[in-house]
Amino acid sequence: MPAADARAVETLDTLPAMGTAFARALVPARKGEARVPSHAVRVDGVRQDLDRLAAYTRVCGYTLRDAVPATWIHVLTFPLHVSLLGDRRSSVRLVGAVHASNAMTLHRPVASDERLALEVHAEALRPHARGAMLDLVGTARVDGETVWEGVSTYLVAGLRAPGEPVPVPREPFEPHAPQAVWRLAPDLGRRYRAVSHDPNPIHTNRAAAKAFGFARPIIHGMWTHARALAALEGRFGDAYSTHVSFVKPVLLPATIGFRATAVDAGLDAAVTTRDGVKPHLLMSVRSAS
Amino acid sequence: MSALEKAFYSPVGRKVAAKAGLAEPPRLRRGRDFPRGPLVLAPLGPSTLVERTLALVGRAFEAPVVDAGEEAPGYGDRIGALIVDATDVSTVAELEGLRAVLRPAVRGVERSGRIIVVARPGGAGGGWEADAVARALDGINRTVAKELRGGATSTLIYVHQGATPADLVSTLGFVLQGRSAFVDGQAWHVRPASTPEASLAERPLEGRICVVTGAARGIGAAIARTLARDGAVVVAVDIPQAGEGLAAVANEIGGTALQLDITADDAGARIAAHVAARGERIHAMIHNAGITRDKMLVNTDAARWGAVVDVNLAAQMRINEVLLAPDMPGGMADDGRIIGVASTSGLAGNKGQTNYAASKAGVAGLVIAMAPDLGARGITVNAVAPGFIETDMTAKIPFVQREVFRRSNSLSQGGSPVDVAETIGYLIDPASRGVTGQVVRVCGQNLVGA
Amino acid sequence: MHHKVVVVGGNRIPFAKAGGPYAQASNHDMLTAALDGLVARTGLSGSRVGEVAGGAVLKHPNDFNLTREAVLSSALSPSTPACDLQQACATGLETTMYIANKIALGQLDSGIAAGADSASDAPIAVSDPLRRILLEASRARSAKQRIAAFAKIRPGHLAPLAPRVAEPRTGLSMGEHQALTTTRWGITREAQDELAAASHHRLAEAWDRGFFDDLVTPYLRVAKDALLRPDTSVERLAALKPAFGGPEGTMTAGNSTALSDGAAATLLATEEWAAEHHLTPWARIVDAEVAAVDHPAGEDLLLAPVGATGRLLARQGLTVADIDLFEIHEAFASTVLATLAAWQDEDYCRSLGLDGAIGTLDRARLNVTGSSLAVGHPFAATGARIVPTLAKLLHERGPGSRGLISVCAAGGQGVVAILEAV
Repeated sequence: MPAADARAVETLDTLPAMGTAFARALVPARKGEARVPSHAVRVDGVRQDLDRLAAYTRVCGYTLRDAVPATWIHVLTFPLHVSLLGDRRSSVRLVGAVHASNAMTLHRPVASDERLALEVHAEALRPHARGAMLDLVGTARVDGETVWEGVSTYLVAGLRAPGEPVPVPREPFEPHAPQAVWRLAPDLGRRYRAVSHDPNPIHTNRAAAKAFGFARPIIHGMWTHARALAALEGRFGDAYSTHVSFVKPVLLPATIGFRATAVDAGLDAAVTTRDGVKPHLLMSVRSAS
Repeated sequence: MSALEKAFYSPVGRKVAAKAGLAEPPRLRRGRDFPRGPLVLAPLGPSTLVERTLALVGRAFEAPVVDAGEEAPGYGDRIGALIVDATDVSTVAELEGLRAVLRPAVRGVERSGRIIVVARPGGAGGGWEADAVARALDGINRTVAKELRGGATSTLIYVHQGATPADLVSTLGFVLQGRSAFVDGQAWHVRPASTPEASLAERPLEGRICVVTGAARGIGAAIARTLARDGAVVVAVDIPQAGEGLAAVANEIGGTALQLDITADDAGARIAAHVAARGERIHAMIHNAGITRDKMLVNTDAARWGAVVDVNLAAQMRINEVLLAPDMPGGMADDGRIIGVASTSGLAGNKGQTNYAASKAGVAGLVIAMAPDLGARGITVNAVAPGFIETDMTAKIPFVQREVFRRSNSLSQGGSPVDVAETIGYLIDPASRGVTGQVVRVCGQNLVGA
Repeated sequence: MHHKVVVVGGNRIPFAKAGGPYAQASNHDMLTAALDGLVARTGLSGSRVGEVAGGAVLKHPNDFNLTREAVLSSALSPSTPACDLQQACATGLETTMYIANKIALGQLDSGIAAGADSASDAPIAVSDPLRRILLEASRARSAKQRIAAFAKIRPGHLAPLAPRVAEPRTGLSMGEHQALTTTRWGITREAQDELAAASHHRLAEAWDRGFFDDLVTPYLRVAKDALLRPDTSVERLAALKPAFGGPEGTMTAGNSTALSDGAAATLLATEEWAAEHHLTPWARIVDAEVAAVDHPAGEDLLLAPVGATGRLLARQGLTVADIDLFEIHEAFASTVLATLAAWQDEDYCRSLGLDGAIGTLDRARLNVTGSSLAVGHPFAATGARIVPTLAKLLHERGPGSRGLISVCAAGGQGVVAILEAV
């Protein structure tokens, strides 16, 4: 079914290879007005590669089953993020854009043999005290039925967007001893790159990380999101919404903490420093059925 | 994706489509939400049937705006629904009263709002004119449905003499709520059934065993989830090959998975045994499983013919026979519900689907035939007839035909599996005892079909 | 036993050849799938079951607490406790007895016995990246693919070599041991191939009649046992080259079990718990016996179940004639045939301390829906496959029907159990 709004859609034959699109996305943004393409990019009939899914589940800590995790579908849409921001009409570049938050809804279990129509567009370009913010909105459909929706919010430092910045309220966080400790190996960035196909060198290369102000490579935020969801596997229904705020990057290698609390509506969780004092990621999972 | 499909979704294609009047379809209100705006009740006579039913539904109502003069009056703010109690209308002259309340409402109803006419059926001994009027109302309903915009729908309910608000409440609740999103321009009957008086239930199926075939995916999975939401204990049935998806559905909704080929000789007995082991009987049997093997008739061999007719029609007849034996442990409970899934293709015919049309029209014939015979046990038998629903099966239709199907109904879009599921949920509601032998189309008032 | 223990259901994923469709699945993945299918079939989603006992023979260091981890990934309540057990190829039967005994003693009212094994994902004592590369290379279909895989090896990957799969005290593989037994008992090639063909044919027939509809749930797009060859025949099997016992050997890839991947689980409970949960008891666990032989001293490695069978029947006051159905695990066709020969051998049985020969078995009552030669043998899963299969078969025959399960295991051990339909 066509999208509910009248956005132009550019349909690609296949998921774009990361090479050229990423090369463009890599070129640092010039200062100035933030611009994003108004069209959506879409690919139909995307097959899921079972071997890659299996490798993905191993790296993130999921159980391999026929029903795929919500974060896996995000990984499948990622080439479209790159393609969209690699477009000439975009002054926002993916490299240098900070993934600030991510929200996804899995409307129903998606089987690994279902073919997906994936679509991504940018919206809600807005000012931020440190630059501009925008949302990359993705959907996955199976035969017209929307089965997954995801919103990745990025902060782009240095670019301007019209209007007055609306302060983003800080999510409440109480220091607390972690219930679990995760040890992240130095090569985790490389291992996650192999399954996510996200070639951003900030996750694998010390020099690249330094260029963006990090002493060491940082793990992908979406790995942390996936790892946290995997830790809670089986605790929520097969249709669920998950929202995370990426508060502070995790430098590799690392030993970090995790804790989860059952609340009325679902589960709240946090990935923290090992002592539980500072948050890296705050997550809430809610049943969507 | 075909080249044509790509062109259609391209920026240029979209502009062309928009110019050609193929606007983006409205987003429909779904679930148990009532219309946002006020409900307006227009009694066209002394009858208080609908007023008393609305009390059971638990919704307040307002008085209608009536078109009496030259200038067409309007509603200030948009209304959620107009409900016309036309049970006293039996002459041609009295139809003017209906026009007078419909005219302002058609313009004043909100997106996904409702026009509902409650009337007496023909053939009830009211005479020639009354029967003509009953049929006239059907023509009005169908036309209003086509003129409404923004996802609003029109429905005609024929309430038979003697039916009480308790007999009517589940129907009125269903039509008002978003559950009926894709039911448009339809008319069906509610008969007196001594339904115990109760208000509209949130979880009408609490603790009741409902068996759904073809439950691993698509419409069947949507049915299983929707019935579980309404409280049902679901036995999810599908072929063994679909077992992994079936297990996921069953575990998600806390039901049980039963891997079973419904065309096997012992299918009915195995369903009964599964339910009997739970020490219970079946409240609702939903025959959803179906297949297509499309070919033009000149290319349809006995194998293509037989497979479709067996899975879609013969299998459920065999299963019904087993489950309806009164002494069958784990069989149909008295006051139970049987649902067949027909199709607009079956009702209207569709090129390349002789076998499918035979099976689906057969389902419609079957429920109409069974209903009177099972009335004594309080068992109702109904069918839903989905129109264009976005599923695995419809995805196989070539793009142009698919897009034409999507657009060729009054809501300008394909339905969702949940729309079929919600309609089934309504029909198997214990309070829907007065609804039997009906074929309710879930098609957005598709152009094709009866 | 104080409480009657009943088998109320079972589930497994289809078994498949190692390196096949489950090449990427771990023990954890497969065990979780087997549990989820069982939970769906029995309507236990979100429920706490008394305990889950499972295990795997080929375990990784990261399979620590395998069963508990699978429970946590499954649809069972996270408050369901679990433990790992291992008794080689008899693991799935040993976990059954562990749960059954706890239920009998009143410590549990319900429990799940399970087992899983991946021969695809076998642990090798090298670095994880190298292990993956080796596995990828072993799956390669062309020299080019293999070279591409090996090209990924880095110096840092290199580490100690994999241990040999052999009996620690004899240095012989299980096949080599069985080859000695085959010769000693004079088991012919024809008899082995006949048994193998029958296993395939009986398994195919059971699939065709829908027998496994409520015993198996598909996994990763596999809906049926992938090793099954319904069209195999004695003639086809006769064409295969010997795999064990040298050029004159009679044991081939066709009459020996293949390395397999899979997982199985069975639900056990008291009758009261079964009734409360609306589940039909198929059969009760009557009794079980474990035995071992002195294989380092030259005894037949895989014939330990013979002694266990004799002692168990004697304890229960039963004879072969009192048992309706037999399930003898087909490690090799010749294992089954040597076992049957041993049952009839007065001297051999007396040497085990039995009063005389166990008896002669009518083959129509043996492995009636096929066994490991056709299904496959993911080591720890086999016992948990056989228990619900036999329980359902006995239930079909009617109350009072008895069945005997005999499973041989590495280390010269065997586990035998008796079930009776309720």
